[in-house]
Amino acid sequence: MSIEPGRDTGVRPEDGGPPENWEAPRERWLSTAVRPAFGPRSVLLEVVARLLIPAILTFSVFLLVSGHDRPGGGFAGGLVASMAYVLRYIAGGRHELAAGIPMRPNGLLALGLLLACGSAAAPLLFGGPILEVFTATATLPVFGKVKFASYLVFESGVFLIVVGLVLSVVAALGARMEAEEEEAKAERLRSRARRPRPRPAEGGNP
Amino acid sequence: MLLPLVLALHAAVAVLLPPLVRLLGARAFLVAALPPAVSAVWVLVQSPSIVSGAPAVSSVAWVPALGITFDFRVDALSLAMVLLVSGVGAAIFCYSAGYFHAGERGLGRLAAVLVLFSGAMLGVVTTDNLFALYVFWELTSVTSFLLVGHDDRKEHARRAATQALVTTAGFGLLMLIGFVLLGAIGGTYRISELVADPPVDSPWLPLALVLVLAGAFAKSAQAPLHFWLPGAMVAPTPVSAYLHAAAMVKGGVYLVARLAPGFADVDPWRALVLGFGVATMIVGGWRALRQDDLKLLLAYGTVSQLGFLIVLGGAGTHVAAIALIGVLLGHGFFKSTLFLTVGVIDHQTGTRSISGLSGIGRRMPVLAVAATLAAASMAGLPPLLGFVGKEAGLEAFVPGHAGDLPPAVALAVLAGLVVGSVLTFAYSARFVWGAFADKATVSERRFKRPSPAFTAAPVALGALSLALGLLPFAVDPVAQSYAAPFPAEKPYHLALWHGFTPALGLTVLVVAAGAAMFLRRRSVARLQNAMPRWPDAEVGYHLFVHAVYGTALSVTRRTQSGSLPVYLGIILATLLALPGVRLAAALVSGETPLPGGADFRFWDSPLEAVVAVIVVVTAVGTVREHRRFAALILISALGFGIAGLFVLHGAPDLALTLVLVETLTTIILVFVLRRLPATFSVRPNGWAKRMTVLLCSAAGTFIAVSLWLMTAARTEEPISTGFTDLAEETGGRNLVNIILADFRALDTFGEIVVLATAAVAVASLVLLNRRDRVVDEPTEEDAEEEAEAEAEGAAAAAPGAGPAPAGGAPADGAAPTDTRGGERP
Repeated sequence: MSIEPGRDTGVRPEDGGPPENWEAPRERWLSTAVRPAFGPRSVLLEVVARLLIPAILTFSVFLLVSGHDRPGGGFAGGLVASMAYVLRYIAGGRHELAAGIPMRPNGLLALGLLLACGSAAAPLLFGGPILEVFTATATLPVFGKVKFASYLVFESGVFLIVVGLVLSVVAALGARMEAEEEEAKAERLRSRARRPRPRPAEGGNP
Repeated sequence: MLLPLVLALHAAVAVLLPPLVRLLGARAFLVAALPPAVSAVWVLVQSPSIVSGAPAVSSVAWVPALGITFDFRVDALSLAMVLLVSGVGAAIFCYSAGYFHAGERGLGRLAAVLVLFSGAMLGVVTTDNLFALYVFWELTSVTSFLLVGHDDRKEHARRAATQALVTTAGFGLLMLIGFVLLGAIGGTYRISELVADPPVDSPWLPLALVLVLAGAFAKSAQAPLHFWLPGAMVAPTPVSAYLHAAAMVKGGVYLVARLAPGFADVDPWRALVLGFGVATMIVGGWRALRQDDLKLLLAYGTVSQLGFLIVLGGAGTHVAAIALIGVLLGHGFFKSTLFLTVGVIDHQTGTRSISGLSGIGRRMPVLAVAATLAAASMAGLPPLLGFVGKEAGLEAFVPGHAGDLPPAVALAVLAGLVVGSVLTFAYSARFVWGAFADKATVSERRFKRPSPAFTAAPVALGALSLALGLLPFAVDPVAQSYAAPFPAEKPYHLALWHGFTPALGLTVLVVAAGAAMFLRRRSVARLQNAMPRWPDAEVGYHLFVHAVYGTALSVTRRTQSGSLPVYLGIILATLLALPGVRLAAALVSGETPLPGGADFRFWDSPLEAVVAVIVVVTAVGTVREHRRFAALILISALGFGIAGLFVLHGAPDLALTLVLVETLTTIILVFVLRRLPATFSVRPNGWAKRMTVLLCSAAGTFIAVSLWLMTAARTEEPISTGFTDLAEETGGRNLVNIILADFRALDTFGEIVVLATAAVAVASLVLLNRRDRVVDEPTEEDAEEEAEAEAEGAAAAAPGAGPAPAGGAPADGAAPTDTRGGERP
């Protein structure tokens, strides 16, 4: 975690408003050094992300497995899960997002397709038609009677593909905007170098 | 039968070669020589029965259900071609082992592609099916593209490769059309059946033949399409020797010779073949005389000889057919010898320019003798194979011996061939003089003698020219077997001595005139320089390519404006113009009755009306809103309103998905909105906006009305009738999901594949767009510059403070600016 002193104490902007970083938390809420996708850090966003993301992910898995009997399913579950990651990205930036998923979006897509293809092709090995569904019911100690159907594997594939799709779109758009912000920053620097303006002395910069 | 296995052996060895080259270096070419050697030995073993008139035939089922098979048929013509493709090929592979260094870039790829080419060429000359021939033909084009462009870091190598590919494969497409026409009017795609029973009555036949000939002429570098062949000389010399002397360029000659027995008498055939062939022979010879680069000299010489071969192959007379086999084999042997010789000279001395070589003959006597023999064979001197072939070729057009050719035509062709032969003699002499003579004006270079193994291949091929010239009866049976279908007035045999014939007199004339031309080479050069520059066919090629680019650009510019509103407008306008107008017409004429009557009701529950009002109000509000962010919020509210309608209609699954999609879309749009101006740039109530609103309302109305009509138009039982019971069987209660994941899982599967493809495409498109930005990531220097700029700014602001504040690591210096002075949208 790096809350650099320079960043933390911040510098008062010229219009006399609060410092740029006044919303930044002093505690560590997320797992990496936080550089939000855009804008300054916000304690509200980080705390909410920390508290809500596990719940949202759990809910997405619930939607996935309860899809046979109630509203939900792989597609809805995937959308919910990807929203958790989008929240994480907005709050913590690219590295925070990368820390939260075990593989890159393309990996998720590949794994999802593999699961879907596998569950589609598996019945062929046993002489059944493609995409045939098997069901099994078992009684587990804690959960009681649990029903398992092979389309859960298929739905998991859908789930992963949806997450991969959203994440790759978000990552691509976000990467582009980060690059543009970098460019804008460089442009500002250059224009400032050309015509120096008076401004307050450096604050707590070491 | 063995032939398909031999072809498979080529492919297998090609796969093995890259790792072998890494292991053995250039010696791996000896392994590469294995498949062509096997095929040459195989065809030699088969040759007695083939020559006696029993072609070796085999057939492999390819798509048995459609009756498509790979048919192979090796007759006398194929035998001669296989000897060139595989026999000369094996020699060239052995030579390559000495020519290339182990450190050559991409050597593994070169070896593998060369073997693949060898296999493809073998396929071209042995297959009996037009489509298989086309596939092998284009395989040779593609592999030749890779071989010519071997040194892919040189721009002119890439350009020459592209030029060769565009010319040969482009005209190959015409040839394909010709093949399809031939097959359609002939009722079969088997070449042997077509030639045995040509569909001469069909009015389409001339067109088909013209198209096929266009492809063959492009492949065999006939003027005015010959420009790609000298350009392709940027390839490594063994590649040139193989592709552009022995094998590939003979493809067109082979095709012409293959079809000649059946089609030579059909009308435009002879005019095209004889006209283009003679012109090519003269143009190639004339240009060859001007070249300083030995390899280019040989390249233009090859063009010239290919014209000769096309004349012989297409003439369709008995003697010409016999001469074809002689010249075909002779040219394959002497031209590859000469190319390999140039390769040795280039390899040892580092130049192949006539004005830079002197005294080579004294230092490499064995090579010089072999190359001189080959050049003599090219010039048509006895007792070499080239003489035997050329003698027969001249004999074929001597009036009175020329079969059913009109005497005037025969005489004209004969005159052309004599002129071409004179030029051939002159450039052959020029080659020997340029490569080996002692020249007083050129200083000798220091070089190492080539190893005997390196010169073995050209010497062996040169010796073959001599041996077959001395023993023409070894070649004669093949020629007789090929010429058998043509009516013979009197027998003719390949031989060194026919008595005092007109052809012998012409040969003497050719030698005298050619020698004079060589001796007076200064005057000839002056004459050539004084000639006006001929229109260059290559200019035509460039004009064509530029025209294609230009057309593509202007079409793209006009149709792809890059404006999303315009694209959407075009799509919606099309929707309204075609199905929309049709629907309106049907409604007006009463063809489609309006549903309704007693069943019509406005809502199931009054709550729906409330939600509908919300949807309508937000829709109107979105259109009237000028600020982007507010419009986004309104359109999201609209989406949630529609989700509410789904809930009220008892579709919670649909509603859930819609809510999620709406949320996610809104978040992503917020991402994008940050970079866009706060308000829409279109004038608030200009005509453009009014038209847009009108178009969109019309499209929306059309969709709504047609959905309404469609749901009411059901005549059959819906397929979902039994789904509820089936879902009970599978043990689920959410019918929507059971349909998605079980009943219609294949649809879902297709959709997720689309999703995954879209994800990859979106990501790569967005990243592609910012490629330039990725490249100029801020480097160390940039960061320092930034820090300096910072320091200057600080110094200017507080003159007393000095440059100290911005000290430290450049990154630290730049960091504070991150958060300062940023204008937030």
